[in-house]
Amino acid sequence: MFGVFDILRDNWLLLLVGQYPSGPLGGISATLILSVLGIVLAFPLSVLLALARLSPWRALRWPATVLVYVVRGVPLLMVILWVYFLVPMLIGREVSGFTTMLCTLVIYEGAYLSEVVRAGIQALPKGQIEAARALGHSHLGTMWFVVLPQALYNMLPSMLSQFISTIKETTLGYVINVQELTFAANQINNQLLTKPFQVFFILAMTYYVVCFSLTQLALWLERRIAHKRLGAKAIPLTDGEAPPAPTVAAPL
Amino acid sequence: MLSPNPIAGRPSPDPSGQEDAMILFNQVDKWYGDYHALTNVCAEVKKGEVVVVCGPSGSGKSTLIRTVNRLEEIKSGQLLFDGHDIHAPMSSMALNKLRSRIGFVFQSFNLFPHLSVLENIMLSPMRVLGVRRTDAKAKAQQLLERVGLSSKAGAYPAQLSGGQQQRVAIARALAMEPPAMLFDEPTSALDPEMVGEVLSVMRSLADEGMTMMCVTHEMNFAREVADRVWFMDAGQILEEAEPETFFTSPQHPRAQRFLSDLRAH
Repeated sequence: MFGVFDILRDNWLLLLVGQYPSGPLGGISATLILSVLGIVLAFPLSVLLALARLSPWRALRWPATVLVYVVRGVPLLMVILWVYFLVPMLIGREVSGFTTMLCTLVIYEGAYLSEVVRAGIQALPKGQIEAARALGHSHLGTMWFVVLPQALYNMLPSMLSQFISTIKETTLGYVINVQELTFAANQINNQLLTKPFQVFFILAMTYYVVCFSLTQLALWLERRIAHKRLGAKAIPLTDGEAPPAPTVAAPL
Repeated sequence: MLSPNPIAGRPSPDPSGQEDAMILFNQVDKWYGDYHALTNVCAEVKKGEVVVVCGPSGSGKSTLIRTVNRLEEIKSGQLLFDGHDIHAPMSSMALNKLRSRIGFVFQSFNLFPHLSVLENIMLSPMRVLGVRRTDAKAKAQQLLERVGLSSKAGAYPAQLSGGQQQRVAIARALAMEPPAMLFDEPTSALDPEMVGEVLSVMRSLADEGMTMMCVTHEMNFAREVADRVWFMDAGQILEEAEPETFFTSPQHPRAQRFLSDLRAH
């Protein structure tokens, strides 16, 4: 097929792990590690940001709101360049492209995820918070024991979508020489010189397969959670003649 | 139980003499923007007394009961719960502590759907009062038995009927060992055949001497269980009476109309 399989056969290792073990880990492994680390580290940050934005204390609410607005109003590439030039200045030594990209993703995804978390918290019925406060729980206790476990569970599909965006955003690491999948594909293209279509077709398909599978997973999760939520709400409203079969109401 | 207070007049504005009052409203006013939701409410629920608040929709019953644990703020006046001024300026910790002593049951149950029935009841004693897990569990099981749901300890709220959920909500409130319980239309979201099971739990609580303030449309419950009935309309308590008096010879014209409308059904 126009040499696509030949290119794959000759370069699959480079696409998979980059120049590893003789060089830094790259290829799709680096892309996935970068995305997973990015989202995993961004998650606690996003919960803190969301709690700060919803907190009754202005000293927390304002800085968090400003940070979220600034990050969301700036292109990702801009954040990458800022981190690329600022972080070495701040800490006084060089930082690898991988670390730079990771820091960028944590800040960027943290801001975006915090909006997802905030929406998840605000989507809960007000009665949940009232019930917790009426029992004497503090604001933070209410958040921690009652609101967050429910909100985070409901938000799983959105968080997975955010993870998919993150995978796609790691391609921008290319501009600061992060050795990930796009970087590897470009290396191959530079070697072959005459087959850019085939090389970038392989690149696009790889991203597509990974992201499409994750999208399907997100859809499945969403249906599952919607089903469970329906089960939770149906009972007080319907006649209760046939109590629904006990679904696996697994708590988070 | 307590003998009903024969004095129908308003309680004195000086709260120091109100040793036997559990909940005392003293000239309470509340506004929602331009809307005067509560107008100069003066009333008291004595210790051990069961008060039923009734009245037409939008008369301020729910607003009134929600001011008692400060889910609603008031504009002016004073509200004492067991001698504590609920609406005085205070730290949030102090307010949380007061709230933990006021049992509150909602119309929509508001059980925590991510926790099992047992965990719903154990959560607040453990996290608010610092009760040990084993003690909280024993207490929760005992309360579930009391509301007739021992077999549902491991179930999740979504698996219960409305009546069962409300009984769990009552057990959850009782787990904090409150000196008084507030019920905000506890049976209004229930199917008719489930109302009885919730009312019978409330009735047994009343029999044990619990101080209760209930907003409800269940007039039979009011007649049989209440020590006093408060009739509200347009944010005011228009009439306070013993249930027998209230139901047979209501004094206020608005109350007469309300009761005749009820009988018309």
